[in-house]
Amino acid sequence: MAAMVSLRKVSKRYRRGAQSVPVLESLDLEVEAGEFLALMGPSGSGKTTLLNLLGGLSRADQGEVRVAGARLDQLSPRALARWRARHIGFVFQFYNLLPVFNAQRNVELPLLLTKLSREQRRHNAQAALALVGLADRGAHRPSELSGGQQQRVAIARALVADPSLLICDEPTGDLDRASADQVLDLLRRLNREQNKTIVMVTHDPRAAAYASRRLNVDKGQLGDDATTVAAT
Amino acid sequence: MTRADLVWAALRRRPARTALTSLSIVTAFFLFGVIEGVNVGIATMAGAANPHHLLVSSRLSMGTPLPVAQLQRIAAISGVDGVAGLAMLMGSYRDPRNVMPVVGVDIAALFRIYETQMMAPPEQLAAAAHLRTGAIVGRMLAEHQGWKVGDRVPIQMPGLRKADGSSDMSFDIVGIYDRDQPDTATWLVANYDYINESRLQNRDSVSQIAVGVTDPARTAQIAQAIDDAFANSSNQTLTQTEKDFVDSLLRQVGDIAFVLDAIVGAVLFTLLFLTANTMAQSVRERIPELALLKSLGFSDAAVAGLIVIEALLLCGAAAMLGLTAAVAVLPLMTNRPALGIGAMHVPHAVFAAGALAAILVALVSALPLAGKARRLDIASALSHR
Ligand SMILES: Nc1ncnc2c1ncn2[C@@H]1O[C@H](COP(=O)(O)OP(=O)(O)O)[C@@H](O)[C@H]1O
Ligand SMILES: [Mg+2]
Repeated sequence: MAAMVSLRKVSKRYRRGAQSVPVLESLDLEVEAGEFLALMGPSGSGKTTLLNLLGGLSRADQGEVRVAGARLDQLSPRALARWRARHIGFVFQFYNLLPVFNAQRNVELPLLLTKLSREQRRHNAQAALALVGLADRGAHRPSELSGGQQQRVAIARALVADPSLLICDEPTGDLDRASADQVLDLLRRLNREQNKTIVMVTHDPRAAAYASRRLNVDKGQLGDDATTVAAT
Repeated sequence: MTRADLVWAALRRRPARTALTSLSIVTAFFLFGVIEGVNVGIATMAGAANPHHLLVSSRLSMGTPLPVAQLQRIAAISGVDGVAGLAMLMGSYRDPRNVMPVVGVDIAALFRIYETQMMAPPEQLAAAAHLRTGAIVGRMLAEHQGWKVGDRVPIQMPGLRKADGSSDMSFDIVGIYDRDQPDTATWLVANYDYINESRLQNRDSVSQIAVGVTDPARTAQIAQAIDDAFANSSNQTLTQTEKDFVDSLLRQVGDIAFVLDAIVGAVLFTLLFLTANTMAQSVRERIPELALLKSLGFSDAAVAGLIVIEALLLCGAAAMLGLTAAVAVLPLMTNRPALGIGAMHVPHAVFAAGALAAILVALVSALPLAGKARRLDIASALSHR
């Protein structure tokens, strides 16, 4: 199977005042297409930083970042934006839905960057909502939906343009247990049935158990995770 | 759903704020249109005044009458080519508020002096000379009152007390005159003798004297000669070109143009701050949303463009509304046939200048924010850092 993600000796540091603080140091990572990878680790260990690099939201200081066939470290900002639209779907902890739009329109947003007709866009958004079990909630605004429902709308938005890679940053971090299970079930189903490659950051070992592989991020390094309980 | 919906959504996000800002912009550009329209209107009035004849009025004040005997002496001054004494009165037709200027004058003399500005067919002028009660009315006035040649119209003249105690006069309309500026064709021009014989007050006087000159280059000298002729009389005169007359009239209320321009400038300046502030708030609130759009693959330029378009739409639509209201309202506000002032209009140039100002206000307030949105770092913005 081809590698969906391949990082080679990637480093990332942040400037804090005069200081330069290393977050990721000479990190290597391979993710195969079709994998569902869970990244765990203490707060502040660099998980979000790593996801941002994978999704082309920020750039590495050093090293090779190859995702979905592109060398992200070599793309211009404009090309990187176009690449994101084509290849990446993001799911954030706090959903980041636009409050003025209903669910249907939120899901349709990424399709504005495609060549699809208006009718096609509407149709695809509706199909994505159906896939996450919210076919009848298209007309609801985010404020009229529960947290779990909002996160499923966000997943529909991440899926609608059929990206190569889903990147989820603590997608259940703000949800109660039942809603979290629904969201995790959905992600696992997308991975198994639609063969979506997923990289998910989570604090919760129960959530990590849904993934097909688990890695620990600590002090800017990756390590195999031995502590995870197997999925039940 | 289209990209336009993104702009609409931004404006709909805080409907009250958008409505208030729009209202301010509408008001500002309404003022802009009206004030600049008046400004241009006044300049046009002054500019259109014919410099080739003179107006004689009392040196005491504009309203003080002059004895009709002065006409003879002025006519005898060298370089003078015709004189016409104007008895200016106010008349109303049917409704006391439906007023118009009634001017008693030697009709033939008046139309000869003003031949390039007031035009009527010769046979109609001849008819007026032959009929004591005959009158030539301005086309605007005729259209407004629904009069036509052959009509006999009773006019109420409050400023005129007749021997029998009444103040009504009847005029037979024998002609209609046109003006170089059609909106100002609002006089009822009647025979001086008819009006003069009817009145008890101010008999044998005129309000002003129009003087034609043979050589336009000598108007200043002739004006001086006229004023000199009456320097030692009890009726000293002030002789001016029509242009000076209008100018001095306008100067009485100060340098209007400057004051008006200053007001418009202040209004636009205030508006700029208001719009910039509204836009800044709107963008600040939406930083995470703009970052989200970028994460979805909207380019930096596209996100910046949304903000510029939002500002252009807000300012543009509201400014159009305000300017259009000015176009509709200014003629109604300024149409005062009673004062012999025609309707003023918002010139195309003022409308265009307004539209340009709206675009500038939008760009000046939006461009810095658009730049900020363009540079916005997605990762930091999404982590609310
Ligand atoms: N934009 C930034 N500027 C400065 N420091 C940052 C920035 N983003 C993250 N950091 C720092 O980098 C480290 C890793 O952050 P992050 O990747 O968000 O960790 P995690 O997601 O694992 O909690 C933290 O110490 C954090 O404070
Ligand atoms: Mg994080």
